Amino acid sequence: MKLTIDERWELIDRISRQTVAFGGYKHTLKDAIGDLTVKPLTGIPIALTVLYGFWSFFCSFAGFFTDGFMVKIFDDHWLPWLMEVFPDPDGWLFKIFVGEYGAESCFEAFGVLTSGLFVAVGVVLPAIVAFYLFLIVMEDTGYLPRLAVLIDTLLHKIGLHGFAVVPMILSLGCNVPGVTATRNLETEKQRFMMIALLSVFIPCGAQLGVMLELVPEYVGWIMIFLIMGMFVFGFILNKLIPGRAPEILMDVPPYRKPRWRNVGNKLWMRTSSFFTTAIPFVLLGVVLVNLMYLTGMMDRLATVFSPLLTGYFGVPEETVAPLVAGFLRKDLAIFQLASMEMTAGQLITSIVLISLYFPCIATFAMIIREGWSSGWKGVLKYLAGSLLVLGFVVFVWVGVLRIILMIMGVD
Amino acid sequence: MKVLLMGHPNVGKSVFFNRLTGAKVTESNYPGTTIDYTEGWMRIMDKEVQVVDVPGTFSLDPKDKAEEVAVKMLRESKDAVIVCVIDSSKIERSLYLALEIMEEGYPMVIALNMWDIARDKNIQVDVEKLEGILGVPVLPTIAVSGEGMRELVSRIEEAKKGNIQMILKNAEGMENEADHR
Repeated sequence: MKLTIDERWELIDRISRQTVAFGGYKHTLKDAIGDLTVKPLTGIPIALTVLYGFWSFFCSFAGFFTDGFMVKIFDDHWLPWLMEVFPDPDGWLFKIFVGEYGAESCFEAFGVLTSGLFVAVGVVLPAIVAFYLFLIVMEDTGYLPRLAVLIDTLLHKIGLHGFAVVPMILSLGCNVPGVTATRNLETEKQRFMMIALLSVFIPCGAQLGVMLELVPEYVGWIMIFLIMGMFVFGFILNKLIPGRAPEILMDVPPYRKPRWRNVGNKLWMRTSSFFTTAIPFVLLGVVLVNLMYLTGMMDRLATVFSPLLTGYFGVPEETVAPLVAGFLRKDLAIFQLASMEMTAGQLITSIVLISLYFPCIATFAMIIREGWSSGWKGVLKYLAGSLLVLGFVVFVWVGVLRIILMIMGVD
Repeated sequence: MKVLLMGHPNVGKSVFFNRLTGAKVTESNYPGTTIDYTEGWMRIMDKEVQVVDVPGTFSLDPKDKAEEVAVKMLRESKDAVIVCVIDSSKIERSLYLALEIMEEGYPMVIALNMWDIARDKNIQVDVEKLEGILGVPVLPTIAVSGEGMRELVSRIEEAKKGNIQMILKNAEGMENEADHR
C-alpha cells in the first residue's frame, strides 16, 4: 500500500506525538561556537583564520620533514651511495635509474631511484600527510558544512552552491576524490561545471608540496591567481551553460570531537592509497621522460612545440618535458622545472601552465568514469566539454598572466 | 540474506558499516561523505551476511547522483533486509524515508542512532511504543561507541515487512486510547 506525501506526513505527526517528547533545552557552549562560526559577521573572519591556519600548518609541516630530514637523507646519503654502487655510469640503465652522473642533489639527477623516489617520498609524502591530517580534523569536527554555508552566496554567483566547497577542498588533496564528490551536486550543469573547474584550476596536494619546495616565495600568489581564474571562468561558464542552479537546504551537523581512532584510520587509508596509486605513476613518469630524452624524441617534440611554448607562453622549449610528465603526475612535472635554467617570470608562467593544462591521468580516468554513468553520450559530453574549457582557459589565463607579469616588470 | 544500511545523510551509516563488517570506509561529520555503495560481510548466527553501506538519501525521489545510487541500490535488491538508520534527535523527518521504504514492501529494522545526542538535547523517545506502532524492531544505538550494536545485530533476523494499514490503525488506535485516559 502506498501513501501520498500528505498522508505520510500526517501519519508521522500522529506517531511522533505519541512517542517523542521534547524536554527543555539549554544552549550549550557547542551551540554558541556553532552559531559564531556560521554567522557571517563572526564566521567569515573565523573561516579566514582557519583556512590560513590550514595553509600555515601545511607549509610548516611539509617543510619541516622535507627540508629537515628528507633532503639530507636523499642528497647526503642515498644519492652518493647509488652513484658509487650502481654499475656502468654511461649505460642506459644508469641514466634511467640514477640519472646524471655526478649530480649533487636529487633535484638534478633525475633517475627513477633518485629524483623519482625523492619527489614521491621526500617531498610529496610529507605534504600529503600534512594536508590530510588537517582536512580530517575539519571533516570530523563538522567544520566543512559551516564553511559551505558561509561561502554559499559567493558560489551562487558562479552557478554553484555552498556544498561545492566539499569537492573543491577534497581536490586540494587529490582531484580524483574531488571529481567523485561532485555527485552531491544537484544538477547536471553544476556537476559539469565543478568537474571542469576543479580539474583545470585546483592544484592537488602533491603538486602543492613540490611547488612549496621549489618556489616557496611564489606559491601564495600562484594559488590566488588560480582561484581567481576559477571564479572568472566559473562566472563565464555559468552564463554559457544551460541548466539550473537551484537553492538547496543544507544540514549543518553539530560539532563533534574527532575520534582519534577514526582520524588515524583515515590518515592511514589515504596515505596508503597514495602509495599504491600515485607512486607507481611518478616512477613510471621518470622512466618515460628519460626514455624520451635518450631516444631523442623529447628534443624533436621540443622543436615542434617551440613556436607555441616560447612564442605564445614565453617559456623555454624544454618545458615540453614537464608537460609530457604532467599527463602522468603534476607533481613530477613541476619538479622537473627545478633543474631548468629559467627567469622568475618563466618559472611562474610554466608552473601556472602545468597547473592549468591537462588533468593527470588518474583524474582523467575519473572524469570518464563519472561521465559513463550516463553512457557514451555522458563520456563524450564530459570529455569534450572539459577539453574545450581547458583549451580556452590555458590560452586566455596564461596570456593574462604574461600581461600581469609584464606590467609588474617581472622578467 | 543481504542487509542494506539506509537513511538520511550524516546519520552514521558508514560508522555502522565499519562496526558491523570491520571494514574501513570513510566516516566524516558532514552530509554526503559516502557517494558510492560499499559491500562487506558480517556474521549473524554462523551465517555470512552481505552488508551494503548505501549513500544517504532523504527520500526515494533522488535529488542528486549520490541519492540516485541509493535508490537504484534499493530497487535492485528486492530480497534485501533494510536497516534504516535514523538520527534520534530528528525522528520525524527520518520516519518519512522509513515509511517510504516500508511501503515498497521491504522488511526492516530501525536503528535510532545518535541516541546520546538526543539525550543531550533532552529528547525522549518511547522506543517500545514506536516499535508497537510500526510493527518492526526498533533499537536505540550509538554507533560511534558501539552501544546497542549487539542488540541490533541479534534482531536483524526479526526484521518484518511493515504493514502500512496496520501502522495507520495502530497510530490512530493508540492516539484515541491516549485521549480517553
